Amino acid sequence: FANSNISPGAGMYPPVAKLNLAADPRKMRRIIAEDPEWSLTVVPLLSNLCLQHIVRNFEEKPILEELLPRHKDYVLERLSPSLPLQVTANLISDDGYWKRCCKQRWGLCDVSSYGHSWKRMFFERHLENIIELYIPDATDPKTVLGMVPLCRNYVKRLDISQLMPPIKEPQKSEDDDNSDSASDMGMDGPSMDHFDFGILLDKLNHLEEFHVVYRVKGCGMNFEWNLFEFTFRDCESLAKALKSCKTLKVLRIHQSKVDDEKCRQLVNNLLDHPSLRELNLSHNLIGDRGARAIGKLLNRSKLERLTVYDNNIRGPGAQAIAYALAKNSSLLSLNLRLNRLGDEGGQAIAQALLKNRTLKWLHLGGNEMTEPTATVLSQVLVQNNTLRSINLSCNRLGMDGGKVLEEGMCHNSSMVECDIRLTEVGQESDYCISQVVRNNQNQAHRKHNTEENLAQTSEHY
Amino acid sequence: RKKMSQAGNLREDTEEAGPSVDSENPEERIAARRLRIAARSEAKKRQELGDDSREKKEIKEEARKSQHQVEQSEKVPLGLCYCYDGTELVTNIQVAADSRESRRQTEVEEAHRLRVEKLENEAKSSLEKFEEITRKWTVAKMKEIPQDLRDSLSSQQQLCALLIEDKNKLIHELQKEMKLSDDRYVKDLKKQAEDVDLMIERMEDQVKFLMGSYRDELDQIENSFEHERKILLTGNRKKWEQYTKERRDKELENVTQRMKRVEEYEVLLQQLRTEDTEEYNMIKIKLDTDVQILEQQLQQMKATYQLNQEKLEYNFQVLKKRDEENTITKSQQKRKITRLQDVVNNLKIKCANQEKQSREENQNLTDDYTRIMQQYKHMQKKMRHFAAIDAKKFEEVWLMNEEEVKALVEKALDTDRLVHEQQLGLAWQRPSLAFMERCGPLQPHRQTQKTAHQAISELLQLGFSVSLSFPPSPPQGFLIESKLLKLLSPLEKDEQSLMKLDSIFTVSYNVTAICMLCHLELAASHQHSMLGLGGRDDTEDAAYWEAMGDVIPEAKLKIWGALEAALDKYHIVLTERSKFITDTQSLKQQNTELRMLLHQYVNSRVNAELEIPPNLVMQLAPEGTN
Repeated sequence: FANSNISPGAGMYPPVAKLNLAADPRKMRRIIAEDPEWSLTVVPLLSNLCLQHIVRNFEEKPILEELLPRHKDYVLERLSPSLPLQVTANLISDDGYWKRCCKQRWGLCDVSSYGHSWKRMFFERHLENIIELYIPDATDPKTVLGMVPLCRNYVKRLDISQLMPPIKEPQKSEDDDNSDSASDMGMDGPSMDHFDFGILLDKLNHLEEFHVVYRVKGCGMNFEWNLFEFTFRDCESLAKALKSCKTLKVLRIHQSKVDDEKCRQLVNNLLDHPSLRELNLSHNLIGDRGARAIGKLLNRSKLERLTVYDNNIRGPGAQAIAYALAKNSSLLSLNLRLNRLGDEGGQAIAQALLKNRTLKWLHLGGNEMTEPTATVLSQVLVQNNTLRSINLSCNRLGMDGGKVLEEGMCHNSSMVECDIRLTEVGQESDYCISQVVRNNQNQAHRKHNTEENLAQTSEHY
Repeated sequence: RKKMSQAGNLREDTEEAGPSVDSENPEERIAARRLRIAARSEAKKRQELGDDSREKKEIKEEARKSQHQVEQSEKVPLGLCYCYDGTELVTNIQVAADSRESRRQTEVEEAHRLRVEKLENEAKSSLEKFEEITRKWTVAKMKEIPQDLRDSLSSQQQLCALLIEDKNKLIHELQKEMKLSDDRYVKDLKKQAEDVDLMIERMEDQVKFLMGSYRDELDQIENSFEHERKILLTGNRKKWEQYTKERRDKELENVTQRMKRVEEYEVLLQQLRTEDTEEYNMIKIKLDTDVQILEQQLQQMKATYQLNQEKLEYNFQVLKKRDEENTITKSQQKRKITRLQDVVNNLKIKCANQEKQSREENQNLTDDYTRIMQQYKHMQKKMRHFAAIDAKKFEEVWLMNEEEVKALVEKALDTDRLVHEQQLGLAWQRPSLAFMERCGPLQPHRQTQKTAHQAISELLQLGFSVSLSFPPSPPQGFLIESKLLKLLSPLEKDEQSLMKLDSIFTVSYNVTAICMLCHLELAASHQHSMLGLGGRDDTEDAAYWEAMGDVIPEAKLKIWGALEAALDKYHIVLTERSKFITDTQSLKQQNTELRMLLHQYVNSRVNAELEIPPNLVMQLAPEGTN
């Protein structure tokens, strides 16, 4: 069609017109079925023109709420994701727009972990990015503070996966020495402190979860010890920030070299926190004194989950925690994996469980416990009805320990999980225990089912 | 759960006989739910027992197959602990890593402890060596021989070198250890990577396995649902066909019934039509006759109308005439009115004259009145004078009468005495007569005089008040009636005032008349009171006079009566005697006279003329009379 149209005048007219027609294939077609917006009318509607104008000038003059719902959708579909956040943050609540923003910025997005809210995801990740790339003394704190009024209503969780140390050229030689006694030396030398959360956390009034790691991601061959420092002043500022953040429910500080002193400092500021439910201090260097502080915290807060695996807690620390546990009535889950409780600590914890009536989930794997702990635990299995799950893997309970446990297990009807792998118990007791656990599981399942049925029947009324 | 509820619903649909959950009766619903729960628990029990009785169940409870399938499918991963085993498989790696880590930790700790021990030992030994060296320095300082000094220096150097070598060795060892641990770290990293790979592999396996098993289960569930659906479909189709057949039958029946009814109705219609035509004819005839009658009536009516018209025309003519007459009379009346108007005017003039006259008359009358009043006063004066004279006269009369009566009394007494003494021969005694000593009229009372005075004063007052209430010139309007005023309003002013005056005068005339009447009445009453001056108390007088009268008592009177009667009789006799005497005398006289007359008659010439002379008659008559 095009050729036939053009061929007679090919010699006469300049080739521009020909090119133009050929360049836009849409003009050559009668109906464009794949475009839902396409219409036969040559002149677009005035309303559409207005809306397009609004879209074009949205940055200078954002008009959205005044529009009709239909027009609103039209505008939101066409808004550029690269508009400044100052304009869009508090104005646009449509998830579609934020979905486009997220997709454009990160590509891969899993919105289910952000409560299915694209806006929340965008702002959380945006703020995390800003904080993770913040370099003390080099970056202006206003870059972070400027975001606060925009994102404070949407940020519920902050997962900081790295924190940059300040850049220092001349002190390289000293740093090597400092690395041994970092906490003390941090005071004299030029500051090694990271981003101060004190300026941020008290302003985010919807923050519920806070995960932080004082380390640098993917440093590769540029590794230096001072990239992985958690200075005393960092700790102090963080502790104060946490205290000021009243809505916080979950706190996680991983792999940040939190030792006894810092742990105590943190715990001191977390005492009587109004909302804290979960504390996770795994992969740190907490020893007995830190454990004692944590024990104190257990009964001065509403903690429900406490996770301190891969630390350095020994017998005395475990005893402190056990003492708190015996009096506690809120804690549901306790994880002490990969510590060094030994029999001393293990027995203490087991004794505490004889009194405690709330704990449901306990992990004591890899704690160098042996037969005496097993004997006390078998008593616990007989007497305690609330404990649902216990993990004793990687402890050297031995054959006798296994038998004792088997005996205790025979009288238990509440345990649904009991992990005794790599504990050198006999196959027989292993089988017996697993049998009891399976029975309990079935019972629990049945109970659950009947409860559900009852709930259904009651719903029917 | 949702699936299950769907399955349950399906089951409930198929199971028509039993109680339904969707039923409206709550008790039935409860029963249905109980049944369902019981069935489920039973199924679970069977599941626990492990008898793979799916086939059996399918045969036994065809209806609940899908639901059981769903329940089984739900239970399969739990019951067989695929999941558990799978997680165990995966977590095994973690546990192994944990155990390794703990072992490493203990090893590291141990190594650390050994290292620290070693370092301490080393430090001790090196310190000893260092002290030896320093001690030797003092010894060397003591030495003065250069050779000795050189020896000692060289030995010192040797010692120092030894010390440094020791240290270097230690450093070397530590570095070696570090390298070892580096290697180990690398190895650990590799191992970790392997572990992670393994874990991923296992997880993938497990996911695949689970996917497969779930798909199987899903297929089975789908199959069972399909099967159930087929059964339902066939059942429903059967029902449908049955219903359609029933419907067809019913429709056929309906059609036949309808045909029958149509026929019936047609017959009925025919009947009705014939009846209606007959009725129609009858009505037509009747109406025709009616029409004729009505036409006749119409004719009659027309005739009467004609008549009436003529009558009315005649009446109209009469009325016209009357109207003419009326117009004539009207004109006459008008003329009369004008005439009467003239008369009225004349009369008005007359009336004015009359009024003038009457006013004059009135004036005269008032003059008369004043004159009469003066006369009246004169009269009063006279009257008083006469009253005094009357009183005197009265006294004189009284005294005279008394005297007379006393004389009469005396006479009576005398006669009584005479009667007694002369006629009856009885002794007479004079009765005591006290009043005889009295003389003159009884003293009149003062009070009457007073009342007369009072009456005079009252009269005067009344007259005064009357004169007050009717002043000589009353204000205009006081004596004019409101009606009159209304009537006068259209008249001219002069006329108005004239009329008003007229009315006032009439009223005032009335008033004066009333006044006169009052005066007359008052005067009469006054006169009466004046007369009342003489009107003394008669009662005592009567008694007085009565006593005088009663001088002769009743018994005496009786005696007198009887005497009188006797005397009367005597008198009568005497009178008769006397009469007889007189009679005889008169008769004697008459006789003589008659004799004379007879004589005359007989002797007259007339007798001679008569056919029958009276002599003859007389002879006969005297013979008869005589």
